[in-house]
Amino acid sequence: MTELIKEQHLLDSLTSAFKIKGRVIRDRRVEVFADKKMVSGILLFAKKQLGFIHLAHMTCIDWIDENKFELIYTIWSPIEKIHLFVKTKIERENPEMENIDSIWDQANTYEREIREMFGIQFPGLIGEQDFALEDWDEMPPMRKDFDTKKYALETYYQRPGREDAKDVRETISERSGTKVPDFAKKYSREK
Amino acid sequence: MINDKDSQKIVDYIQNFARKQSLFVMAYGTGCGAIEIPATMTSRYDAERFGIRGAATPRQADVLLITGYLATKTLKRVIRVYEQMQEPKYVIGFGSCTINGGMYFDSYNTINALEQYIPVDVYINGCMPRPESVISGFVKLQELIQQGKADNGKKYRENLEWYRTNQKKIIKNWKMPDYNW
Repeated sequence: MTELIKEQHLLDSLTSAFKIKGRVIRDRRVEVFADKKMVSGILLFAKKQLGFIHLAHMTCIDWIDENKFELIYTIWSPIEKIHLFVKTKIERENPEMENIDSIWDQANTYEREIREMFGIQFPGLIGEQDFALEDWDEMPPMRKDFDTKKYALETYYQRPGREDAKDVRETISERSGTKVPDFAKKYSREK
Repeated sequence: MINDKDSQKIVDYIQNFARKQSLFVMAYGTGCGAIEIPATMTSRYDAERFGIRGAATPRQADVLLITGYLATKTLKRVIRVYEQMQEPKYVIGFGSCTINGGMYFDSYNTINALEQYIPVDVYINGCMPRPESVISGFVKLQELIQQGKADNGKKYRENLEWYRTNQKKIIKNWKMPDYNW
């Protein structure tokens, strides 16, 4: 295995400049955990000083047990050939995050998607309120506490005949006379 | 000239025969099923043997294929396309998703049963239906046309209230043109 010299060097330069934690995941993958307020500074520093000129992706995870949203910015350097993940956690109540579309224009699209799917507000974000959905007035659908099955049952006509659908393992075990393994019992649809 | 019953039958027979031999399919793909259409149309399965071919606009088309899952946003477009089509018009529901939701049965933005919103002549099941089953669905539609049973455009006009109620349940911001067919 090769020494992860350039990855470690990148991590050192970021941690010394900002006093943040981070780790080298493997070769060509580095992640740092930053405070909400420091994210735009880190991104700007990485873009101007370290050559991370490309915002590859920006996404959000709902950690409902911790009561937090995690935002992940994936940026890439064509010189170093490293993906850098900048991760930050924000509160779930009235979530708000700094708008970074002045650093990268394409962040506008990702931010509009996150605003629609998770309800995170980005002050100063320009663009239509609707991104992929149309006339949506419920809870943002990608949140973990949005019950999509319940919503579908209430909203759309259900054709009868689906309710006796069994887990495929139970059907196979009945047919072949074997027992369902313990780990698979949690998937059972028989209540 | 045509006033007795038997000669009307002969006219109907010829009319239905002509209609079933030239099914112009609206070139409109929803969901993932549209990927089977090129395979059906091209040389191996060659759907044009049955007179099935593409039409560019709704006003020139006879058949509307709903190929796969239908998001609520797409349903609005489908209704507009369907209402612009000239009679006689036929709808084929294609794949499990149009029948009972398929693998998207619990999704928050796909409908589960197509015939609640527009009348459907033939359903083709499968996920995905192969070109053979697509062609068998078209042949079934041709049989219905020959027997004079495929008159869903009329059914839609007569039960417009019921369809509108169902459609407006899903599409909250209803800004659609009204047609006087």
